[in-house]
Amino acid sequence: MKYVIGIDLGTTNSALAYAEIRPDADPFDTPEVRLMDIPQLVNPSEVRDEPLLPSSLYVPGTTDFPVGSLALPWDAEPPFVTGRLAQKRGVENAGRLVASAKSWLSHAGVDRTAPILPWNAPEGVPKLSPVDASSRYLDHLRRAWDAKITDAPFTEQQVLVTVPASFDAVARELTLQAAERAGFRDVTLLEEPQAAFYAWIERHKDWRERVKLGDLILVLDIGGGTTDFTLIAVTEQQGELALERMAVGEHILLGGDNMDLALARLVAGELAEKGTRIDTLQLHALWHNCRIAKEKLLAPGARTKEQPVTILGKGTGLVGGTIKATLRREDVDRVLGEGFFPRVSSSEMPQRARRMGLQEIGLPYAADAAVTKHLAQFLRQQASSAEHERVRRGPSGLAAPTHVLFNGGVLHARLIRDRLIEVLDAWLMAEGFGPVQPLAGEDLMHAVSRGAAYYGLARHGRGVRIRGGVPRTYYVGIESAMPAVPGMASPLKALTVAPFGMEEGSSVRISGREFGLVVGEPAEFRFFSSSVRKNDTPGAMIEDFGDDLQELSPMEVNLTSTDGTGTVPVSFETVVTETGVLQLWCVARDGRRWKLEFNVRERVAQ
Amino acid sequence: MGRISLAIRSFFSILFSGSLPEDGLIKLGLTRRGAPKAQTASPPAVPRPADGALQMLSILQRDARLIDFIMEDIAAYTDDQVGAAVRGLHDQARESLARYVKLEPVIDGVEGTFTKPALSDPAVVKFVGNVPVGKPSGGLLRHKGWRAGKIDLPPLNPKQDSSILAPAEIEVE
Repeated sequence: MKYVIGIDLGTTNSALAYAEIRPDADPFDTPEVRLMDIPQLVNPSEVRDEPLLPSSLYVPGTTDFPVGSLALPWDAEPPFVTGRLAQKRGVENAGRLVASAKSWLSHAGVDRTAPILPWNAPEGVPKLSPVDASSRYLDHLRRAWDAKITDAPFTEQQVLVTVPASFDAVARELTLQAAERAGFRDVTLLEEPQAAFYAWIERHKDWRERVKLGDLILVLDIGGGTTDFTLIAVTEQQGELALERMAVGEHILLGGDNMDLALARLVAGELAEKGTRIDTLQLHALWHNCRIAKEKLLAPGARTKEQPVTILGKGTGLVGGTIKATLRREDVDRVLGEGFFPRVSSSEMPQRARRMGLQEIGLPYAADAAVTKHLAQFLRQQASSAEHERVRRGPSGLAAPTHVLFNGGVLHARLIRDRLIEVLDAWLMAEGFGPVQPLAGEDLMHAVSRGAAYYGLARHGRGVRIRGGVPRTYYVGIESAMPAVPGMASPLKALTVAPFGMEEGSSVRISGREFGLVVGEPAEFRFFSSSVRKNDTPGAMIEDFGDDLQELSPMEVNLTSTDGTGTVPVSFETVVTETGVLQLWCVARDGRRWKLEFNVRERVAQ
Repeated sequence: MGRISLAIRSFFSILFSGSLPEDGLIKLGLTRRGAPKAQTASPPAVPRPADGALQMLSILQRDARLIDFIMEDIAAYTDDQVGAAVRGLHDQARESLARYVKLEPVIDGVEGTFTKPALSDPAVVKFVGNVPVGKPSGGLLRHKGWRAGKIDLPPLNPKQDSSILAPAEIEVE
């Protein structure tokens, strides 16, 4: 093993960074982390190195590309196109494009191992499962590595793949499956906001002088498609500063793409008022151009108050068919400032989606676009978990960060960073605290992959590790033994099987409760998680949990035994592996063990 | 054929055509090294000189719609309309040109200042104005000139007709 490889498997873009493992290196020296450019098709017949691999996959048909124009250095005829070309062609023919596969991976409303993507593909287009699509991106990265770095085969290196902190146990398991399917061998999962923080440490050798004991760092990660919050506390361990991940937020499907689309819709609305209607393809062009115009308007030192946005004519008549519009700075300020980052008080919670009788299955996009309200909810939720005395809190219970670290492409814009700091400062002032300190992060696009590679080295003893453990509490549902009442489901209780913060490489036996499992028949357990309840200890039985618990895919175990049939009394044992994977085991009195597996299929059938 | 006649024919053959006559070779039991094989059909994949030019045009059309713009009759449109279309086109054309051809000035100086050129090749430096007889010692740099530093065009797909600069587009409703 020569290198550790950090892979940021993003919703819209993926990146790869690596660092050399040198046992002889000075342990206090910050290791050098390098980025690898990723060869990919950018046009038919044109393979080019790009710093990012767009997480887009295109299922080519016979009329899509000229014969032989999809050859990659490692595959003369790939069945799918991944990367920039897929993204480009997908705009022209959306029915064959797989995008946001990662969001589908965490969406419990669909069977994530069934071929369902592209979601709106016409009849006859071969489909992939969200797991397959994710594994295709990872496969591309593996082969790209082997094509570029010839002295160290990918499968012999240690690999870290990042996942959103908000990914639950099922989504993490599925990510691992995707990695295995892509031929990965030695994989560890790491949470993205933690990786972003590692990247900051990697860039600041003197980090111990920049934070002190008792500090609370809020990592705000706003990417193209998702928003993710994490709190990291600075603690002390054997007289040394240590870091501990305290809380992670819920999975919010809200990001930069939504913001650019909101701007495009605004411009499209203005055009419609003037009598110019645009179609879907043109809206896509407008979306893209609005992003560019927005970046120009928000660039440091930009003085212009408006930027022209144009949609070029479709036919050979370029000038004649051009639609001209303007994106004004004030519109950008208004849409972003009021729509996505409004000044709100820390008690304003995001609106919940109305429950419709028949909900269209698709990605569960955030119902409320206000990132600041989601942030308020996140910091408020920490109020209910009083066991963490290391979390600095205001009189109202609001978790009060001392520092903030930004990550994700959206936060390149100073306007948005300033607004977030302004809102946080107002909340802190109301709680009687001073302003929050921004930690200067650079390279917001690559921080996650860089940080992942750094963490890989940390596991080899170089560098500091953030202690975290399982970011949620996990439960198994148990139907209470009560007489059934017609028209009402029998009340459900929840048995705590994994406490919040359970550390990697540890296990816990849930004693005092046994289940009789019939040999030869699959037994299924309903499985729940909570990011709010943090005080439940293993074995604790919870009743009346309301909205605190979220149901995940059920878990299933099939007892096969050599000594015939019958009922075996078993108890649960929870294991968190060194690679951060949560496992539930059924253990018989005589020590025999069976692993519970997620059943992502069953959920959909219900 | 006598030895003398062979020697004389060989002498003149080498003197005028640089090689031994065919029958002389046979007589002496020699074979030509690397003799030209019978003209087999050359593979169609050999790039024609025009391919690179067509490829560049095709790239500028694909990325910046340059051919559309140049071929369009813009006389009827207002400067405003032309300007709106050209801004985006300009950004794109510049980006792709920079990507595939590294452009650099022939003389890296400031236009309008006195410059002494190192070369006097008229293809590299052009003197204008009151040019004296012989090589002028220098003058005001009017235009820095352009040189293609590094050309980095993607390989051509041998199965593709390079004369197609842009495919026709049909939108399926």
